[in-house]
Amino acid sequence: MKRLPLSYVAALPVAAAVLAPIGILIWMSIGADPTLGGRTWEVAANTLALTTLSVIGAIMIAVPLAVITTCTDFAFSRVWVALLAAPLAIPSYLGAFALFAAFGGGGEIESLIGLPTPRVHGLFGATLVMVLYTYPFVFLATRAALQSLDANVVDAARTLGLPLSAALIRIVLPRAANGIAAGAVLVALYTLSDFATPEIMGFNTYTRMIYVEYNAFGLDRAALMSLQLLTLVVLVLLLEARIRIRRERPGRVLWLPLSGVVQAISQMAAGVVFLFAVGLPLFVFGLWLAREGVVGFEVEYAINSAYAATLAALGAVLVALPLAYAASAGWVGRLCERATYLGFGIPGIVIGTALVYLGLQLPLLYQTMALLIMAYILRYLPLAVGSVRASTERVDSSLIGAARGLGASPAEAFRRVSLPMIAPGIVAATALVFLEVMRELPATLLLRPTGFDTLATYLWRVYEAGYLGQGAVPALALILVSGLALLIMLSGETRRAVRS
Amino acid sequence: MTSRRHILKIAAALGLLGSMPALAAIEEAAKQARSADDLPKLSGPLTVYLGRGEGGLYDDIVKAIEKRNPDLDLQVRRAPSAALANTLIAEAKAGVSRADLFWSIDASSLGAVASQGNSRPVPKDVSARIRPAFRYDQWAAISGRLRTVPFNPDRISRDQIPAHIMDFAHTDLKIGWAPAYGAFQSFVTAMRLLEGEDRTREWLTGVARQARSYAGELGVVMAVARGEVDLGFANHYYTLRLKQGKPDATVDIALTNNDAGSLVNSSGVLLLNDNPLAVDFLRYLLSREVQSYLAREAYEIPMVSGVAPPDGLPPGIHPPDVDLTRLADLQPTLDLMRETRVL
Repeated sequence: MKRLPLSYVAALPVAAAVLAPIGILIWMSIGADPTLGGRTWEVAANTLALTTLSVIGAIMIAVPLAVITTCTDFAFSRVWVALLAAPLAIPSYLGAFALFAAFGGGGEIESLIGLPTPRVHGLFGATLVMVLYTYPFVFLATRAALQSLDANVVDAARTLGLPLSAALIRIVLPRAANGIAAGAVLVALYTLSDFATPEIMGFNTYTRMIYVEYNAFGLDRAALMSLQLLTLVVLVLLLEARIRIRRERPGRVLWLPLSGVVQAISQMAAGVVFLFAVGLPLFVFGLWLAREGVVGFEVEYAINSAYAATLAALGAVLVALPLAYAASAGWVGRLCERATYLGFGIPGIVIGTALVYLGLQLPLLYQTMALLIMAYILRYLPLAVGSVRASTERVDSSLIGAARGLGASPAEAFRRVSLPMIAPGIVAATALVFLEVMRELPATLLLRPTGFDTLATYLWRVYEAGYLGQGAVPALALILVSGLALLIMLSGETRRAVRS
Repeated sequence: MTSRRHILKIAAALGLLGSMPALAAIEEAAKQARSADDLPKLSGPLTVYLGRGEGGLYDDIVKAIEKRNPDLDLQVRRAPSAALANTLIAEAKAGVSRADLFWSIDASSLGAVASQGNSRPVPKDVSARIRPAFRYDQWAAISGRLRTVPFNPDRISRDQIPAHIMDFAHTDLKIGWAPAYGAFQSFVTAMRLLEGEDRTREWLTGVARQARSYAGELGVVMAVARGEVDLGFANHYYTLRLKQGKPDATVDIALTNNDAGSLVNSSGVLLLNDNPLAVDFLRYLLSREVQSYLAREAYEIPMVSGVAPPDGLPPGIHPPDVDLTRLADLQPTLDLMRETRVL
């Protein structure tokens, strides 16, 4: 009989824990009336359209940015990586509201400079917002994949006469496909589960129906609809599973010098993305702040946010490592790893309520920090697993064998051979979970210890009440804290490349 | 902030809300609105579930109460009212009890929790201080939210606006609404209770033809001010708050007469156990200081007589007679809204 891979010992219980909330959803949905009127198909089509367009848009923005910040002498690239990842810490509803308030007749832009701008709404508006606040998923995952790419292949292709642009498209991108796909899945699942953006943009998606039911105390119906939404989640996961590439030996990192013009254009492009995703909401809320003044903001909120996000990020990476190894060990491990993605596609308030029911079974843990962190880990595990897996798949066991053969202990082999190869994936995983926890709201509201306030809960308080100006301060704090955290993480990213 | 009101203004304002003669109202006020100075000191542990927070305004109240009562060990848990109601229902099912008191911004959340049978009745001496039209056995009304018709005076004049909510279905005005928003659904529920399902269905169908949907009612009010629509349906305070930040915003408030369009919904408190501290905390929320703060800063309508309503409300508030607890019955409303493709 074949021996059970070691990583399964950790992967199976994690998969069980991740599936528990979904089991609770099934239990909650029992007895729900499944008839939802005649609009289900229209709403499902809307949801699919928004998801598809958001994925395409995010890839189109993120992949070029990932290439220039990873593989070229792009000036200030570390700072740019931190800035370009920051939109992940901004709740998309803030961005949606800022765009809604800034553009269109009578919007802030028109009333300030008299320039009429088109109204941002509908499918276009929702897609724009989703792209701006999810592209960092693809950006960070693609960067991690590019860092593990062997530049010798590109050089070989160019020696054989392929121009650089063609080499990028035909040689580099297909090899980064794992990372791009891992990021794209997260964009798709985030879009499927987001409520506020389509709502603000006046676009009817599945989550809107779920929220309406939830707020009308129709928990059974909300759970049932969430399970229906899961079929779309499974569809996305099946699609991604088809994008697999061969494992390759790691090698020298690709490094391209930029000409002055390309450098300037790239800087401008990065600037425009940052300006739209981060500058615009800060500007709009800053305007409102000037009108209303600051009330009741405390630095403690920022500390709480960073504290919870750090714990969750570290925990998620620790749990993700065995899962990522299990995924390469066999189909059971692969299923365990896939299972972690399911919960990410379900609206936060529904999964949060399922976790409340779960937490109530453990009254000692209910409304404690420990349960909140566990909830974050369960919810954001796919963010970590995807990035870690993209890099663990690159670790060639023959290299470890060679190190051991040369007299290295297992610990030394891990530290000096495996770790440097998976480090970019771990950094990306930590960053993704950290940023996502910073902006997480529904589960935080439901599960946090009583009295524990974060930047996101403070933002919710002022936003819900219509005091948008006061959102400027926590939004700025979110960006500062995330930017700093990212810079720290990136400095830990070892530049193992031998540049030629 | 604007200057404080004087007795005449109080009397005038009270005349709008009740039918009492002005002078009697003032006498009544002296009897009913107690100062926080006269209330018992609070001490000991108390956990409050607070639905929403009005951007920190409710926190200021909580802080002021804590400052007055240094021995009070107060824990506040904030989340959307519906989420807390769902949490309280889950806790009740699991036999776990963490909160002494639920302070919700809408009556339907209170009704949903109360229907689980885990609440305690409001003591008679407390409910006696609340306006008679808003006295309920199961929960105590704290502050009112009025349904209004915000309109853009550059696009239409006040007399073009129908006086009755049902007539909006037969106009060609461009209307903004927020069907997914809880307060709107409560309003449609009130219409269903007052006018019946058939007339509500006709109304939804009629208005939907000329309506544009927004995410929330702040969005509706902003759209009215920007001239995207002629008028909208929204809770009163969104207009007042928008004008606080932007005094020259082109939006005014109109009211309908004695129908669902002028519903006064209420925030309120549900007592979840026999902790006497919870009742005393509730007394503070009904004190003159807290009530006038809510009116002044949050633009909410006080529920205790003798406290001036917020500035900026038009005269002639005639709310319909609806049992607010019944607004928790949202499912038939959602069915109607789906059937008419409003949701």
